[in-house]
Amino acid sequence: MNENSPKRRVRQGMDYGETEDVQQVHAAIQREKREPRVGLEPLSLWLIAIYGLAIFFGGAYLGRYSGNFSGDGLDPLGGAPRPTKSGATGPGGAQTAELSPADRGKKIFSANCATCHQMSGTGVAGQYPPLAGSEYVNGGTRRLGMIVLKGLQGPLTVKGATFGTAVMQPWEKTLTDAKISDVLTFIRQEWGNKGGPVSPQQIAALRKELANHPDSFTEPDLKAVPEDAELPGGEPAATKPGEPPNPAASPAPSQPKA
Amino acid sequence: MNPADVPLIAPDTAPIATAVDSDVTIHDVERVERALIDASTRLPVLFFYGSAIFWLLLGTLLAGFTSFKLHSPELLSDVSFLTWGRVRPAHMNVMVYGWASMAGIGTAIWLMARLCRTTLRHPLLLIGGAAFWNLGVLLGVGGILVGDSTGYEWLEFPPYAAIVLFVAYSLVVSWALLMFRFRRGDNIYITQWYLLGAFLWFPWVYGAAQIMLFVVPVQGVMQEAVTWWFANNLLFLWFGAIGLGTAYYMIPKVIGRPVYSYHLAAIGFWTYALFASWTGMQRLVDGPFPAWMITASIAATILTIIPVATVGLNHHMTMRGYFGLLRYSPTLRFTVFGAISYTVFSLVGVLISLRSIARYTQFTEASIAYSHMGLYAFFTMVMFGSMYYIVPRLVGREWRYASLIKLHFWSSTYGVGLMVLMLLVGGFAQGSSMNDPSLAFSESTQTILPYLRGRSVSGLLLTVAHFIFAFHFGLMLFGLGRTASVPTFLNPKEEEALEARL
Repeated sequence: MNENSPKRRVRQGMDYGETEDVQQVHAAIQREKREPRVGLEPLSLWLIAIYGLAIFFGGAYLGRYSGNFSGDGLDPLGGAPRPTKSGATGPGGAQTAELSPADRGKKIFSANCATCHQMSGTGVAGQYPPLAGSEYVNGGTRRLGMIVLKGLQGPLTVKGATFGTAVMQPWEKTLTDAKISDVLTFIRQEWGNKGGPVSPQQIAALRKELANHPDSFTEPDLKAVPEDAELPGGEPAATKPGEPPNPAASPAPSQPKA
Repeated sequence: MNPADVPLIAPDTAPIATAVDSDVTIHDVERVERALIDASTRLPVLFFYGSAIFWLLLGTLLAGFTSFKLHSPELLSDVSFLTWGRVRPAHMNVMVYGWASMAGIGTAIWLMARLCRTTLRHPLLLIGGAAFWNLGVLLGVGGILVGDSTGYEWLEFPPYAAIVLFVAYSLVVSWALLMFRFRRGDNIYITQWYLLGAFLWFPWVYGAAQIMLFVVPVQGVMQEAVTWWFANNLLFLWFGAIGLGTAYYMIPKVIGRPVYSYHLAAIGFWTYALFASWTGMQRLVDGPFPAWMITASIAATILTIIPVATVGLNHHMTMRGYFGLLRYSPTLRFTVFGAISYTVFSLVGVLISLRSIARYTQFTEASIAYSHMGLYAFFTMVMFGSMYYIVPRLVGREWRYASLIKLHFWSSTYGVGLMVLMLLVGGFAQGSSMNDPSLAFSESTQTILPYLRGRSVSGLLLTVAHFIFAFHFGLMLFGLGRTASVPTFLNPKEEEALEARL
């Protein structure tokens, strides 16, 4: 504060706020250096080397992790462009139609059924019956449709073993006719099973027929149906004209899978 | 106006010649000219600085809350507007739009006027701009605390505040461009490139983000891509450009020596403009985006090594032989600290963007360390430096206490150093334990607790620094600075310093 005394201020007399005379500018401006200028030193070789390294490294990184610049590739390493099955089924057909019903069924199976019945179709001893080699799966389609649509409870004997601690839920509200038919087609052709395909129309017909059936089925209900009874839509569904998935599905059984 | 009419004079040969071999009156004219320019910028620049420092203090308090709540969550948790989810965005936005942007604009106005050698006509317009800007930040922070936050990082201000900010900004920017239009002299100095760039980039970055998020929103995860592009480019193209431009002015100005190389400056500027705008997506490594988007950003981040090395070398060579002056000049010390931090910040940015490292640092405190390196260790320190230079010229007084400046410098330095160290190391620890499948998530939050406490300590240091600086600035504002013909040196002046006439 003493520094700021009037006496001192008068002596300084350089303060910009206190003087009328514009010639007497603030000391800071008086002593200030010139506005900055620019030298013209050349680029050093080391710097050019750094540029080269950065460009090389950046470019290499871009090449390595670009995921082939594909619009839907989340994997930075890319790999082959998305696998297509068109090669196997021959030319023609929109991309979405390329999957056969069995292939679509496999996806549905792994999302909904594999938890209990396992991807290998073997089920779990004592709890979930196997699908591979099961007489229900290989037999007529009607029983199968009933089980999937309405579910199953109570003990059940499959391939000589008894199961019954778990309940199968009804799928009629969760899966559409097309999905149920796809998944049935899949399990009837997978794991060495020798069943024919199932069409969505068959499932739709059965769904209508069973609309008023309140509960899940039990083993006696199933036994009441002849073992080789087919779905109401009828066997010829597979050969109906104007039904694209089924012709595509017909080569599917020939796929040699374990 | 015809470019052919402009005489082709190599940069700064003609002015040197006139200045050197003419009589003293030229110097006098230059001084009077500077005095007039400074006088014309006084009110708007001080208004911007004053508001900025107010927001700095508020932001510091909010930051303290944010930091303490992470290890003491029960602190004031029953007051809805002081919950973590509101205090944190309030802190970030106050710092970004209140402190950093306003300080940057203040410095930019002054630099622009000085370098265009033109007085600021109609400063009232700029004061209006500053008032509007304050209103925008006030509305925005109020909106966030009330619960109107938009939820996009660095864009939490509700749209009504963003509109006010934009009006304020257009006042300011049209102003700066006018000044550039009426410039005198043939040379356009490096600082002017960066400032012009910043003034044109800000509306692009901010406007693009606003339009793509609120006016015509893009769908789904692409919003995140827009947000991160925005946050990164606000840091690079707005704050980065202003900060670098300021450093390009302050360093040669204080030591009184030309910038080392024009060529380096040009390369540094254009490669910066080219590569920086590609960055941002690297913060989304392994996110649900096409891999090439993220990789392109990482590659661009790697390429920013080019401007960073160039600018760093340019500053270093300019300073070479003059590092001793860091003992005396506050401006130089803050600015050089900021310039060095810029290099470190950029290199750390390159490292943590690489996929192999981002695996550990992403979604951890390390990315917060990164933001603080950019916005504090680099930008804020450069702004402090420029304020230490500019304010005495505006109020006609010297800084009162060298001890306060020193205290400010060391608390800021240690504060931000400790914070960055804690958050970087803590972030790596957090990331490794989050990646370890044998650990529960709650254990990864345990590993970071000590680091968070350390961060709070660093926050206390920064709080001290900011209040000291605000007090000192207040003294200057009320005319209580020293009246002396020598500046306030950090250390007792010696021959060398006197000779350099800082």
